[in-house]
Amino acid sequence: MSEETGDSDPTDDGGDRNDGGSGDRPSLADRRDVESVYQPAEDSDLLARTARERVASGDRVLDVGTGSGYVAAVLAEAGADAVGVDVSPLACRQAADNGVPVVRGDLVSPFRDGVFDLVTFNPPYLPTPQEREWDDWMEHALSGGEDGRRLVDPFLDTVERVLAPDGEALVLVSSLTDPGAVREYASDRDLVSERLASEKHPYEELVVLRFAAE
Amino acid sequence: MKEDLMEIICCPLDKHDLDLDVTEREDGEIISGELVCTECGESFPIEDGIPNLLPPDMRDEAPA
Repeated sequence: MSEETGDSDPTDDGGDRNDGGSGDRPSLADRRDVESVYQPAEDSDLLARTARERVASGDRVLDVGTGSGYVAAVLAEAGADAVGVDVSPLACRQAADNGVPVVRGDLVSPFRDGVFDLVTFNPPYLPTPQEREWDDWMEHALSGGEDGRRLVDPFLDTVERVLAPDGEALVLVSSLTDPGAVREYASDRDLVSERLASEKHPYEELVVLRFAAE
Repeated sequence: MKEDLMEIICCPLDKHDLDLDVTEREDGEIISGELVCTECGESFPIEDGIPNLLPPDMRDEAPA
């Protein structure tokens, strides 16, 4: 059977997904029908590569919204003492099965003050109209609410508490989420920010932002 | 979960210490049990090796 017929692909069911010609991102659209835990894609990979250069052996790291545990696993491989947290029970199970110590929880709320040298976060960031939200755990993993910042803002409100004195938070944002607005929000909460890395894709630019206490 | 996770977790509500009450242990992993806040007394379950430290009002909040 040839690839061109397309009927050998179980994910290609021609549903109502907005995947028409999505260039670099067909994988994301496809996965929404077949998976319930977000699997690592270009965004997780950029965050993992950027974070990996910044951890030293023995650093304590928290990966927020860990999903499959990919970023945490990469950092553990680099010698960090990495833990994941996720609100989804399915993600927690998968991260644990991938060997990542994991806690089910809401952002950084179940962690002690000042314990992490590095916190990473690849948030759900696709701006999504309200009527399309909350269908399932996968939608939860992808949707960033009306402005794409549904979980970025509460993360920035609370992350400083769990950072060690010289600790930092790395957040993956997309041009779809307005990185400038994200940095402004952080600045209002006395966090300094910096662009550490970026990568252009056909429909968006992925950016890794660094946040630290002023 | 491994017991050393206790060094970094706390009650998600008031950030106080948690007491660990183990029901089942296997190969150094805690499989099931309970984490109880030493301050507010709220109890959080450990199930299938994963501690559930969601605030109680979020525990049942699942996408349909």
